[in-house]
Amino acid sequence: MKATVVDGVEVGTTLPVVAVRFTRERLVRYAGASTDFNPIHYSEHFAKQVGLPGVIAHGMLTMGAALRVVTTWVGDPSRVISYAVRFTRPVLVPDDADGVEVEFSGSVSAIDGSLVTVSIEAISDGRKVLGAARAEVDLGVRVPHRDREP
Amino acid sequence: MPITEAHAGRRYPPCDPYQVSAAKITEFVTALGDDNPRYRGESPMAPPTFAAVISAQAWDQLFSDPELELSLGRIVHGDQRFTFMRPLHAGDVVVATVTIDKVRVRSGSELISATVDIASRDGEPVCTAQATLAHSRKAAA
Repeated sequence: MKATVVDGVEVGTTLPVVAVRFTRERLVRYAGASTDFNPIHYSEHFAKQVGLPGVIAHGMLTMGAALRVVTTWVGDPSRVISYAVRFTRPVLVPDDADGVEVEFSGSVSAIDGSLVTVSIEAISDGRKVLGAARAEVDLGVRVPHRDREP
Repeated sequence: MPITEAHAGRRYPPCDPYQVSAAKITEFVTALGDDNPRYRGESPMAPPTFAAVISAQAWDQLFSDPELELSLGRIVHGDQRFTFMRPLHAGDVVVATVTIDKVRVRSGSELISATVDIASRDGEPVCTAQATLAHSRKAAA
């Protein structure tokens, strides 16, 4: 496979931002697609009963949507070899037509041979909702990087 | 008796084989709003986090284990890590096996670390999915 994004990749390279609108409809779709039917993702009444401020998005929906920053950039999603996040703050999704927009951004934080680590940020309602979100991508060819040169 | 530290190390029997289908991939990427062409067409690839669908099946074994006294509605996902050995495609058949790695009991809640190993039917590793789940215990009436 031909590498697509090697030229010009260096530590600090920023990836194009991806914005995704989370609505109740999207939560219902994700519940069905993922088979995660935890009622905190669709029932206000239930969410409040277990101490949440309201219906929240599936952490895995946020994690999956966030990876689009990386897979859209690299083109071939099979190049992702690891991906980890901490769910630091729930994404509250109001029951209206607009829902809430989650903005995902990423930047290259490490390069080791053909392996590139992308650090991802996810912002909802002005606050970070993911912590330590990192995806490791194998670009298939060694990335020439001047960052390491003295 | 609910889940305790002593449940660390418990490994459940492998789940029934799971066949990845193009229709399920389409549902999943539609929910993510992801239009990557690799997820469409004749032999679509499953997006990396599709492994969550297979993990959820394995986690169900924890929620349905009466000894642990866990309830899905009281679970909040704390963290998640995937290691991918190879991508999944429509038609692949995989088997998931869940292991409880660690349990930390707090007042009124438990933090459960669990690993789901996803492998082909021949035992070739496909993906490892490690999670921490926070379970809040219902206050005693």
